[in-house]
Amino acid sequence: MAGKNLITASGLSVSYRIGRGLFSQTVLKAVNNVSLNIEQGSFFGLVGESGSGKTTLGRALLNAVPISDGSAHYDDGEVSFDLSNLDKPQLAEYRRRAQLIFQDPYAALSPRMTVRDIIAEPLEVMKMASSREEVDERVREIAGRCRLNLEHLRRFPHAFSGGQRQRISIARALVSRPRFVVADESVAALDVSIQADVLNLLKQLQKELGLTFMFISHDLSVVAHTCDHVAVMYLGRLVETAPTRKLFAAPKHPYTKALFSAIPSLNPDDKGKAQKLEGEIPSPTNQPTGCKFNTRCRYATDLCRQDEPMLETVDEGHEVACHRWKELSS
Amino acid sequence: MDRLIEVKNLTLKFRTDEGLITAVEDVSFSLNRGEVMGLVGESGSGKSVTAKALMHLNARNALYDPESSIILHTDRGPVDVLSLRRPADLKVVRGGAISMIFQEPMASFAPSISIGKQMVEQLQLHGDLSKAQAREISVEMLDRVGISDPAKRFDQYAFELSGGMRQRAMIAMALSTKPKLLIADEPTTALDVTIQAQVLDLMKDLVDEFNMGIIFITHDLGVVAQTANKVSVMYLGRIIEEGPVRGVINTPMHPYTKGLLAALPRLDDLDAPLTPVPGDIPSPLERPQGCVFNTRCGELMGALCSTHIPSEEWVKPEHRVLCHHFNKDAS
Amino acid sequence: MTDNLTSIPTSATAQDQKAKEAYFTASQRQLVWARFKKQRAAMVAAAVLIVLIVSGILAPFLSPYDPTIAGRNKDYLNGAPNIPMFCDKNGCSLRPFLHTIERERSIKTNFRWVEKINDDKRRYVQFFVTGSDYKILGFIPGDLHLFGIDDGFVHLFGTDASGKDIFSRTLHAIWTSLQVGSIGVFIAFVLALVIGGVSGYYGGWIDSVLQMVTDAVRTVPAIPLFMAIAAFIPQEWTSEMRFFFISLILGLIGWPTLARRVRTHLLTERNQEYVLAAQLSGASSSHIIRRHLLPSFTSYIIVDLVISFPYMVLSETALSFIGLGLKDPVNSLGVMLQNVTSADVLMNYQWYFIPVIFFIVLVMAFVFVGDGLRDAADPYSDLNN
Repeated sequence: MAGKNLITASGLSVSYRIGRGLFSQTVLKAVNNVSLNIEQGSFFGLVGESGSGKTTLGRALLNAVPISDGSAHYDDGEVSFDLSNLDKPQLAEYRRRAQLIFQDPYAALSPRMTVRDIIAEPLEVMKMASSREEVDERVREIAGRCRLNLEHLRRFPHAFSGGQRQRISIARALVSRPRFVVADESVAALDVSIQADVLNLLKQLQKELGLTFMFISHDLSVVAHTCDHVAVMYLGRLVETAPTRKLFAAPKHPYTKALFSAIPSLNPDDKGKAQKLEGEIPSPTNQPTGCKFNTRCRYATDLCRQDEPMLETVDEGHEVACHRWKELSS
Repeated sequence: MDRLIEVKNLTLKFRTDEGLITAVEDVSFSLNRGEVMGLVGESGSGKSVTAKALMHLNARNALYDPESSIILHTDRGPVDVLSLRRPADLKVVRGGAISMIFQEPMASFAPSISIGKQMVEQLQLHGDLSKAQAREISVEMLDRVGISDPAKRFDQYAFELSGGMRQRAMIAMALSTKPKLLIADEPTTALDVTIQAQVLDLMKDLVDEFNMGIIFITHDLGVVAQTANKVSVMYLGRIIEEGPVRGVINTPMHPYTKGLLAALPRLDDLDAPLTPVPGDIPSPLERPQGCVFNTRCGELMGALCSTHIPSEEWVKPEHRVLCHHFNKDAS
Repeated sequence: MTDNLTSIPTSATAQDQKAKEAYFTASQRQLVWARFKKQRAAMVAAAVLIVLIVSGILAPFLSPYDPTIAGRNKDYLNGAPNIPMFCDKNGCSLRPFLHTIERERSIKTNFRWVEKINDDKRRYVQFFVTGSDYKILGFIPGDLHLFGIDDGFVHLFGTDASGKDIFSRTLHAIWTSLQVGSIGVFIAFVLALVIGGVSGYYGGWIDSVLQMVTDAVRTVPAIPLFMAIAAFIPQEWTSEMRFFFISLILGLIGWPTLARRVRTHLLTERNQEYVLAAQLSGASSSHIIRRHLLPSFTSYIIVDLVISFPYMVLSETALSFIGLGLKDPVNSLGVMLQNVTSADVLMNYQWYFIPVIFFIVLVMAFVFVGDGLRDAADPYSDLNN
């Protein structure tokens, strides 16, 4: 059912209390008041640099880290959950429908299990198959879709390259036929030629299995080629979100513009579109007041330093959180 | 003399439990002052091993072929790097005439010694400087690389700096001995893209100011396009294509280079499909016979590619390829 | 676009291919064993260790005499070792034999033992003789001994002050020390697994509390503890009860080091991404511990166990040596060493030291095997890019 939202987040925040000792007060707001919608069947990209909170947001939507504030909902037409308030049976059901693909293909696979066991584990843990034959059947089917041979199933992870391991990871995430898959930097550790292969596989699987993907990455070019819709995060806040083409054609937020110009272009003569950003990303424990981006923004005014901007609509599907976006785009 | 370093027929194998693994095979290139060379390759290409060989830094189980030669042109004349054995001789090369910076700056700074102390130590090892003089030079370098409040940073520890600043500090440390050649092994891969842009700008400025040569190792062709004059593409230990950066990127010759470029997501063409290079990099234990790329090549010329190693061909004045398609006498 | 690891043209022969496939499908245990086999020192040590352990188990069969007072040779106290010969002035023989040593002590010789060798009479060494009764491992009865002699005694390592055969005592002592070590290690291991496991898996305040307990136990000084225990053990206790008690105590103070290792392993493994992947599928703690965590450090724990063994043996030996552990008539290396302390022995009865050599070899064998296992135990570390 296209057009319907699978995931809706509203004012979502995730905070950690960090520091040693039982009485430490330092609070790290990893995700700060984020509201977004992920359409069913879409390939949603979440982009940001370090400290942006994108990984934490992805995990919060999977209920892997607790939500401190705000809400998030899952609704696939069959069941609907309030993700900040799941009891045990609901959580077990949600786990079948929402899965995660990790970044590091070397750390995400247990080195002492065969590939068949690794892929079969979710089925066994979630008790989704009634017999060993059924488990084997489903493992073989998903392994085939991920282009793994039968003989690969008997081997251990150490026999495989990074790209192949990532395919095993993908097979494991998909064996339980989830609806929603979060891919957390899933191609970052791969070589360029393998990366293309895995990305194509993900798109193909999306079509074949009707999945909804949330693709978390720091690599804008990868996101541009695979995602329908992109959201940009900075220091825990959502600064801009738009359908991919619109975002890349006409970004509105100064940070987004700076991100684009920072990407080294393949054209050697393409120098100096550069609106190079000065300064460092502030520490998440010591966030600036007002707009989080004001310390590095060349257009910052006093208003920016005092007031946090809210998300405003630019046009259909395109929102930006900046006090001055209108004047800066004219 | 303008020429900085000449590498000829570098072949390097490693003795491991699983057998003799060829890491680098018949690699030749040269670099002049003021030139930036991009060394591009994926995992298993041998680019890091090549870089370390330039400083004779590879592990003890490394076997250099007798025909390999690395000649470094220093102020005191040419030096044959591979023949150096004594620490005193190697010092000239390591940190002296050649400096290296790495991907992970936390790994090159000792965590419990302040940055300043390490920089001073580096300087004193390579020259007759007093501690005060070394300190002055170090603080100046820290300032030059764009670190704010350099005197304060001098006394800080590596973990107190952010990723971008640590990388700058490492560049400062590497450049404080005024090397002729800087080897940068994936220096910006671990950095955020906005910070990467700053560091790349810095490096370009420094090349101009110091008239150094830089060998820039990376897997990112975009970075190479923006910083390098010429680029060498490596696959499984061989340089399969080398040429001026515009030439290689706009008119690639080798099927692998073409494959790499086709697999790259480009921001100027969002509709273009991503075409991966088919197959997987062979395991080091299964090195292909003939042309190293033949197991994945889409433009095979029959059995020739799997039986004979192609010879190098200069298709343009500075652009060479290792491919049977360009061998005039295909034997 | 299929991808085949085996589609590379025949640069590899079929045998090569089989070898590679074997490598790809090798489980952790097989990989560890393959790496272990490559280390010569460790393999030699393992062989030696097996020989010693088997000798210990079969000690009653291998020794010609009962090592207790019951089997002593009254006529040959503090006697030098009898080395069987093959040749003497009368020619050679295939069967080894001994000459009789007659000893005399009288006023004439100033009350010192004077030995006279009667080299006309040969006493042949017999194999598979019937001798005193014994029970292997405490329950398999038998009375067959590997070797003996047709007339009199054969003392390969000599005798001690009461005439007990040192060779027999040594073999039995190895077995005793191994037993004490095993029990001690077992108790320490069980405690370490539980305490270290809970500590490492749950973390937080449970970890802090348990760590304090661990540190407290570790700081208990061994010698004063054993002195107190030695004073506390009732005299009526049989040597077996004493034996078990000493082993128990060794285990009870030996667990902190192992517990700390278990905890460290768990703390690292717990944060691995594949554990998180399992948790995200809703796996229970017990599933994660069973399928992911335990296998991940089994190899390390085995290494720890093997390396703890010699420490237990050393501890028991040291304690028995200073009189705080086992005592006569129980045979252990420490007990045998008790007699070594006088100058008389040092000067005149050097064969008392032969058990020391066995002891050193035993400990070294454990250490080498443990080291070899430790090097072989992480076959995955250098396979990561």
